[in-house]
Amino acid sequence: MVKGAFSIWKRDMLVLRRSLFSELVAVVASPLTFYLAFGFGLRGYIADVEGVPYTVFMAPGLITMTAVSAAFDESAWSMWFHRKVQRTIEAYRVTPITVFDIVIGKIFSGFTQGALKGVAVATVIFLLTGVRFNPAHLAGYLAFIAFGSMVFSCAGTVCGTLLDKPETIGKVQAVVIMPLIFLSGVFFPVSSYPEALRSAVMVVPTTALFEGSRRALLAGSFDVQFLAILAVTALVAFVATVVIFNRKMAE
Amino acid sequence: MTPALALRAVTKQYGTLTAVDSFSLEVARGTIFALLGPNGAGKTTIIRILTTLLRPTAGTALVEGLDVQREGKQVRQLIGVVPQENNLDRYLTCRENLVMQARLHGMRPAETARRIDELLDLVGLTGRQHDFPDTFSGGMQRRLVVARALVHHPKVLFLDEPTTGLDPQSRRAVWEYIESLKDSMTIFLTTHYMDEADSLCDRIVIMDHGRALVDGTAAQLKERMSRAHIYELQFRGGADRYEELLRSLPFIRSLQRTGETFRLCLSGEESLKPLMDAIGTGDIRKICLQEPSLEDVFIELTGREVRE
Repeated sequence: MVKGAFSIWKRDMLVLRRSLFSELVAVVASPLTFYLAFGFGLRGYIADVEGVPYTVFMAPGLITMTAVSAAFDESAWSMWFHRKVQRTIEAYRVTPITVFDIVIGKIFSGFTQGALKGVAVATVIFLLTGVRFNPAHLAGYLAFIAFGSMVFSCAGTVCGTLLDKPETIGKVQAVVIMPLIFLSGVFFPVSSYPEALRSAVMVVPTTALFEGSRRALLAGSFDVQFLAILAVTALVAFVATVVIFNRKMAE
Repeated sequence: MTPALALRAVTKQYGTLTAVDSFSLEVARGTIFALLGPNGAGKTTIIRILTTLLRPTAGTALVEGLDVQREGKQVRQLIGVVPQENNLDRYLTCRENLVMQARLHGMRPAETARRIDELLDLVGLTGRQHDFPDTFSGGMQRRLVVARALVHHPKVLFLDEPTTGLDPQSRRAVWEYIESLKDSMTIFLTTHYMDEADSLCDRIVIMDHGRALVDGTAAQLKERMSRAHIYELQFRGGADRYEELLRSLPFIRSLQRTGETFRLCLSGEESLKPLMDAIGTGDIRKICLQEPSLEDVFIELTGREVRE
């Protein structure tokens, strides 16, 4: 099974390599704009958040947001394009590989793109802004990024598998993905939510992702509960995506 | 000897629509076989079942003795598929498309390089191997799809309308490749072009509404129409009036009109005299007996109505 998935992943990486520079420029533009607009534009109006300057508070969330958004985008659009436009999925399906190879290859392509683009944004933020983190905190942070990218890559793959119209994928991004990301602590701590709402927000996987990854990077604290929520979500998402793709292909 | 392909009472239903209705067929190894039928007859559904893309609602489909449902992976090792629409990867070069196919078939790199060089030469794309398929003409893209289907030396090659949309030169080029493969594999093709089936295929089945209507060589099928009495009739003028008259005659089985010329099929030679009595001789420019073509057989069996 692994060989077929690896061939598909390798193909996606070859295509990515050809347009790597333009992809990275495009992916860095948006979080950097947020960083400059909110971090510097509002600097005089926002005091320290959770004991750190707002620019520092915001940086981990922006990097995480870039990684998981890229994972979702790549998986959703790639799957949709290969299924509906280029029909390459059908070409793969008449070879000896299985549908599991195809979906696993695509999930890992999305995951890799997310991770690469997250690193690109992190590098730019570190280089341009002077935000510095303790390198020892990086391992914990990357664990959150890995599970988060997996969750979003699976979500994207499901969208690309089930949705036939490209505008519907755009709507899912606008109505589900962006609110989930923005309301889960990219720009503000979840402690800002009213007490009654906070306990519910804390078990949302995206909160676990953004809040957990920020704490890991800024304070070096490794929140096992957050990571467990994220890991279980990633596992469930992975199994669900494989099952959904398999069923769709059997139609 | 195990047939290359076998369908046993295969049925495929989509809700209330029966696309393939208890269809049975055996194709011997080394045959070039054509499945003909109008749009919606069930041809593509049969190809999709045989290539493991669709599960039949009932019945069994075998490729080289392997069950397409239970032994799908082994079946896919033995088949090459040229789909109706080109599904090349436009972000990979011509050569990379072939390399990808070889990888998915688990071929070793050294074997892959040699085989791809050979195929690029066969389809005349060696000079364009590092270009992207988007820059190719329709004929070149089709040749690349055929080459891709052959990378892993399949035993059975499926071609779903392989020459649709191609110019006559490209069609002939594709025919030549298909003919050159004849000795090394079984070829199963669907087509709308009667001349394609006539000149290429050892055996033809015409199907409609999910069922086989006739089965035989092109010559055998045409022989069925040998007593059909097909005439070409050309008038000097008044073709509209004559069309109305011809359509009202009960012994005319089918009628096609092109300008002032009619192609009609009489129910028997005894109908010729009543025909001449009905139309008279004053406006006739030409009347001649025609050899039946495969298209006549097709139209006779499947009717003249345009399908959705």
